[in-house]
Amino acid sequence: MEATTAAQTTLTKKEQPRDKRRVLRFMWKYKALYLLSLPGILYFLIFKYIPLMGSVIAFQNYNLFAGFSGSPWVGLEHFTRMFSHYDFLNILKNTLLLGIYDITFAFTAPIILALLLNEVRMVLYKKVVQTVIYAPHFLSWVIVSGIFIGVLSPSSGVANTMLGWFGLGPIYFLGEDSYIRSVLVGSGLWRDVGWGTIIYLAALASINPDLYEAAEMDGAGRWRQMLSITLPALLPVITILFLLKMGDFLDYGFERVFVFQNPLNIRNSEILDTYIYKAGLTQMQYSYATAIGLFKSVVGLFLLAIANTLSKKATGESLY
Amino acid sequence: MPKQAMRMLMLILVLAIVAGCSGNNQPSPGTGTAEGSGETPQVQGPTKFSISMRTLNVAYVEKHPDINKDPYVQALEEMTNTDLDIRLIPHNEYQDKMVQMFATNDIPDVVQGSGGISGPELAGAVENGVFLPLNDLLEEHGKDLLAFIPEEAWARMTDSKTGNIYGIPEILSNPSRRATWIRTDLLEQVGKDIPTTVEETLEVLRAFKEAGVEQPFAGRQNFKYADTFFGAYDVLGYLNQFKLFPDGQVKPNFFDVDNMKAAIGIYKTMHDEGLISREFATIESTDFRSIVTSGKAGMWSMNANELPIWGAQLMENVPDARVALIPSPTGPDGGGGYAHYNPVTRSFYINKKAEDKAAEIVQFFNWMVSDEAELFFSYGLEGEDYTMVNGEPSFEVPTDTAGTDKMRYLNYWLWLVQDTTYNKMVSSLTETGQQMIDAFDNMLAHEGRKGIEFDPRLEALIRYPDLNPKSDEMPPLILEHVLRMVYGREEIDNYEAVLDEYLSKGGKEIIEEATARYNNQENAFE
Repeated sequence: MEATTAAQTTLTKKEQPRDKRRVLRFMWKYKALYLLSLPGILYFLIFKYIPLMGSVIAFQNYNLFAGFSGSPWVGLEHFTRMFSHYDFLNILKNTLLLGIYDITFAFTAPIILALLLNEVRMVLYKKVVQTVIYAPHFLSWVIVSGIFIGVLSPSSGVANTMLGWFGLGPIYFLGEDSYIRSVLVGSGLWRDVGWGTIIYLAALASINPDLYEAAEMDGAGRWRQMLSITLPALLPVITILFLLKMGDFLDYGFERVFVFQNPLNIRNSEILDTYIYKAGLTQMQYSYATAIGLFKSVVGLFLLAIANTLSKKATGESLY
Repeated sequence: MPKQAMRMLMLILVLAIVAGCSGNNQPSPGTGTAEGSGETPQVQGPTKFSISMRTLNVAYVEKHPDINKDPYVQALEEMTNTDLDIRLIPHNEYQDKMVQMFATNDIPDVVQGSGGISGPELAGAVENGVFLPLNDLLEEHGKDLLAFIPEEAWARMTDSKTGNIYGIPEILSNPSRRATWIRTDLLEQVGKDIPTTVEETLEVLRAFKEAGVEQPFAGRQNFKYADTFFGAYDVLGYLNQFKLFPDGQVKPNFFDVDNMKAAIGIYKTMHDEGLISREFATIESTDFRSIVTSGKAGMWSMNANELPIWGAQLMENVPDARVALIPSPTGPDGGGGYAHYNPVTRSFYINKKAEDKAAEIVQFFNWMVSDEAELFFSYGLEGEDYTMVNGEPSFEVPTDTAGTDKMRYLNYWLWLVQDTTYNKMVSSLTETGQQMIDAFDNMLAHEGRKGIEFDPRLEALIRYPDLNPKSDEMPPLILEHVLRMVYGREEIDNYEAVLDEYLSKGGKEIIEEATARYNNQENAFE
């Protein structure tokens, strides 16, 4: 689909049709391509753009049976309610902190891992390692949480047994506010780090080997090669992925947090996503939930725009 | 690209789009209705209607390729002269799917809800006039239902402002459903009698601990199925646990400071002495079950009707184990037990659009409380599941998984309106079944905690989700502090400050609304 649209744009630029008739004739000429792009365009319109309009319920008191047209408008009431919630600042703080940790650890780890894997010479070993680290990605969060609760259990968990060898613990990791963020970021890292390396490994495979050969001739060691060839070659991919990640900065994800929550760690683990679920969806407060979701999206868009501008200035790479 | 090939491609694309779009129109809900009503009344073919039902984790239903072709459903249709179109709603996505169903206006002729007329799964459908008031229909076609179902269950189906009855309830005549279980073999081993008070219970648990029982009392996340001692002190704090205090205000019963402190103290003692798992805050239902059935626990709380199943599993793993349901430990007021359940388990609502066949639908439900229905839903099909010997049905209770799955399906799921406390015909055939009936009738009927309940729930609870209790969990705010106190992170003496926090974060509004509604008797149940 994307290839087709790309082809179209280049063609349009080449031919530069000046009047309407020429445009139409041009379109007729390439009707097959236009037709091919139609399902894709319709898909985005119907499933992505039209549902966006549903966000208006954030400004209404939405009633399921009255619909958009029948529900009363309430202006910014739901937003005021959100900002004046006594725990709002704490929830926002948790969300931001988890977002920052996620960028620092979960975003950089796949890059480092991909670089490490790239240096492995034994093909078989490399393949085995790759498969082993991909595998957890296919586990659902419920299962991941089950595994972590077991591993971190103070009475029977491996983690505490190992701490015991050094005379430490037992620590009830999931029962304390202070450990929960590490557990959340750590479980995410374990589950998705292997998956995250795929794109980087693909990018690494596309680097021209002549560059390394030439560098070797000039006497560059492996470290130097990595700094001067591998990293710069990866930079465009890293930038794009980083920008996409910024757009989801506040979307840490509902399920992955919810499955680890309990009243003993809730003070540090309640984030916007889980709050939306508890305050909005389970209580049928659709408008309120939408208002919080909308707030999240706007912040995400804002961050994305900033990061994009900065990256355009700094590296020349950007999403748009 | 050659022209011919391109034309072909375009044709295929167009066809694909047309096919894709028209596919959505096929299962139109209107067609069934039109056919059914088009016939003249004299013909009296089977009444066709659609019904949505939650699968309720019943394995037989969830594994079934097409429940509408099931022999038992077909037998039911034959006996009632109906043609059912059962639409299953997955157990775990029940609320979401129900809301979707209402939002897309694809509502079947009969909708199954759970509990009262303002349950969250109904998404306000009753208030918005989606369903038919049934008062006259019940008078005319549902006489047996009116006789069978007690007044308090009808009250849950009635809008107290208009007096309209909107649903047909399935009932639970004995709302004290959970029981205290104990390993009597361990009790004999440590030489103790069955404990009756909280203090005696603690002594027994300590003795269990000394005898090497890993978890003398089986704890679970958020005190779910581990609220025995909150029950003893009557401070459960759930949705149906509001109480009229001497100051004239209606408050959640955890406002009873002395009893609450005492109950928290008991759990703290149990935690500190290792009488309850130190990680009970992260023990979920499946772990809980395996702890109990693998013989690691000495005492616990579970639904009494699970006795035959859990008991059998325990004895399979620990052949010497013996288990019994005992009266729950009593607190200072001499009472004890667990929070009562809603007297309505499932409820059935008739869509306004199905008005033309509503009479037949009510007759269908009316049949559910007949003797013929009881025999069919208890034992199954004659000749296949049971035989008639001298005019009496002879039935053998299955013990294999496939058999028990089928029993659960028939006894519990497909039988739409009944008293769900236990199945009398099946349970009375086995020894554990008789034990269970005895426990329900002679013990559980006399215990349990019940306060004031509001249905529809208080508006303020919806506004303050942190203060909103569940049917068997305290409000998150209280629960958080209680757990911290049990784990020694907060002083129990600070409990008054917790109540102040509760009041300042919206609790005042809750109490005001509760008191006002109680005084006006506005859908407040006692």
